[in-house]
Amino acid sequence: MAILTEARPQVARRAKGVRNRDGWWAAFFLGPQLTLLAVFLVFPLGFAVVLAFMRWDGLGQKEWVGLDNFAAQLSDPEFGLAVWNTVKLALLTAPFGLALALLIAVALNSVKGGGFYRVLYFMPVVTSSVAVALMWQIILAGDEHGVLNASLERWFGITGPDWLGDPGWVIVAIAVVTIWSSLGLNVVIFLAGLQTIPPQIVEAARMDGAGSLRIFRSVTLPLLSPTIFFSTVVAVISSFQAFDQIYVLVNPKYNDGARTIVYQVYELGFQDFQFGMSSAAALILLVLTLLVTLVQFAAQKRLVHYDT
Amino acid sequence: MKRALAILGVLALATTACSGSGGGNVPGTSGGQGQVTVRWSTWGSAEDLKLYEKFTDDFHKRHPGIRLKLESVADYEDYHPKLLAQLTSKTAPDVFFVGDDYIGKFVSAGVITPLDDQLSGPESKSKPEDFFEGIYGGAKRDGKIYGVPNDTNPEVLWFDKQALKDAGITEDPAALHEAKQWTMAKYLEMNAKLKTAGKAGSIFWNWYGSTYSMINGFGGKVWDGGKFVATTDAKSREALQTLAKGYQDKTFLSADTLPDSNGPSTQFLKHKVGFYAGGRWVIDSLKKGGELDNYDIVPFPSQTGEPMPGAVAASYLSINKDTKLPKEAFTFLTEFVGKDGQLLRLKGGGAVPSVKGAEQVVLEDKYPAHAQTFLDVRDTGFANYAEEVSVPGLTAAINEHLMKVWTGKVGFDEGMTELQKLVESKLG
Repeated sequence: MAILTEARPQVARRAKGVRNRDGWWAAFFLGPQLTLLAVFLVFPLGFAVVLAFMRWDGLGQKEWVGLDNFAAQLSDPEFGLAVWNTVKLALLTAPFGLALALLIAVALNSVKGGGFYRVLYFMPVVTSSVAVALMWQIILAGDEHGVLNASLERWFGITGPDWLGDPGWVIVAIAVVTIWSSLGLNVVIFLAGLQTIPPQIVEAARMDGAGSLRIFRSVTLPLLSPTIFFSTVVAVISSFQAFDQIYVLVNPKYNDGARTIVYQVYELGFQDFQFGMSSAAALILLVLTLLVTLVQFAAQKRLVHYDT
Repeated sequence: MKRALAILGVLALATTACSGSGGGNVPGTSGGQGQVTVRWSTWGSAEDLKLYEKFTDDFHKRHPGIRLKLESVADYEDYHPKLLAQLTSKTAPDVFFVGDDYIGKFVSAGVITPLDDQLSGPESKSKPEDFFEGIYGGAKRDGKIYGVPNDTNPEVLWFDKQALKDAGITEDPAALHEAKQWTMAKYLEMNAKLKTAGKAGSIFWNWYGSTYSMINGFGGKVWDGGKFVATTDAKSREALQTLAKGYQDKTFLSADTLPDSNGPSTQFLKHKVGFYAGGRWVIDSLKKGGELDNYDIVPFPSQTGEPMPGAVAASYLSINKDTKLPKEAFTFLTEFVGKDGQLLRLKGGGAVPSVKGAEQVVLEDKYPAHAQTFLDVRDTGFANYAEEVSVPGLTAAINEHLMKVWTGKVGFDEGMTELQKLVESKLG
């Protein structure tokens, strides 16, 4: 007992020393990351929030204008159009893109030697978005030289629309490109999710007489619901932030149908030099994204199953 | 001890990684052997930038103490946002190109050095009076010069003799112009005949050069006393309505909306259109067709047949107010825009010199037959209006809105009302 009592302060001192050393090492390794995070994320975000309440052209004096920038954006028909186009893009890409990825993932999960196909599906993800946009520009060209329209004409006798020029069709064209380029990533995520489903549950369902469709509906889908939920949140946020491919594929300056919120932010800031207005538009996008994500989180309580 | 050495090692690596290439991010840097590096920036494709190589080599030979470092951006639309970011963060080049639609903003912001004293001084190879007054545009404010036009591209009407002949047009536009009979009525009549013959009358790029030249041709005004009057002035409105009607019945084609595979140059080379509004750069496109003699140029017409001022695309060379090498920066600027500099770098290019005395660049090839027209339009023409260029994005917003009118997405009267509101809102 006495030995134990005497030993305790030494152990405590050693433990304290270890904790101190751990603290220094933690600071050493985390410091650069935290500094970068502060410099490149926290500070710009804070600056953008302050800027949203100011009028500033990037060079001259900043002027406090209160909520004027928000009011101007919310009453601007172009911003309304940008929000509507952004929502349309999310509604087209998230459900269709994820459904397609899920189907492919389920198929690949049951195929032997699926690695080759995984590489094929994943290739668009690692291809530069600008290269992707340029390739699709050739496919979707609206004249007789467009690969898609030429094929439609030759095989079905259908005259295709001007996919990238017609404001009514352009968002569909952008959605197709977005679905294509994000398909591989979603497939990989779903495949990972599918592989976490315990095979004995599937086997038990099969022994109870469930067919493939019933297993998919009653076992696979519920058990995959956390993965589907994660992918849905990510897909919606990505659609809300779509910019680079759209900018290369169609210049929204000449096609209102392709004007999205991020393009509006870019145009206001870097074409018109209205950085306050641009920050206000970016903040509205942030709030909109948060709201949609909150709705998704609210819905997950009823639709997502975390038990296996 | 080991830990201390490891930390020192990491710090040494970090220091090396952060040190970069010797302060290349700040304006004006010193190199080895007593040399200084003048950074300058412009936009342009690799082909465009090749034209500067001869000038740079020549400059390096004459000024061994100065090295020129070109920092280019391929796309015009991306160039000014980058320059703005560099100016805000005090990392902009010592000398930079500025487009005619942005110069006014940079002048207002006070980030450019006024050049009057240096341009008039003994070291100058490009005196203020060596450049045509009209093309200073927004680079001149309150009598002070903030940017020197480095070269120009006057907007003219290229015409296809074959297409006109096919449409039964026997008169030669250039001959009519020489006889002072090149009127707007005659031009529109030719466009109508071309349309009847199954061709398009004219192709325009949707920019201020062609739109404002048409307004001038109708005798209208765009800006008056600091106010945008293009939508209210009767003659300007008539010009815009003529354009809108022409675009909608396909007498006029918008080059911006034509597919890449069948763009304006292709249509012009295939004799599908009579007139193509453009600058000297069109020569490059025509060379691909191989029928050079089939094409000639004429200025935009006027109501009376008397020559009228046409639009001249210009860009300017300016010096960063924060440069640490003001003397060397000016040496580069004055030689770049001076007569010898323009003769050297514009030879074989598609631009027209902005400086007096370098006309042989345009005339020596004797192409097109009326190449003198480029110089005439330059000498009497105008760069974009100072009122317009002082608001970044205003010209682009006007063009964008007019495109909606040209394509019939917005009715003409409604479009004009909206355009007026748009301009007023941008002017604040």
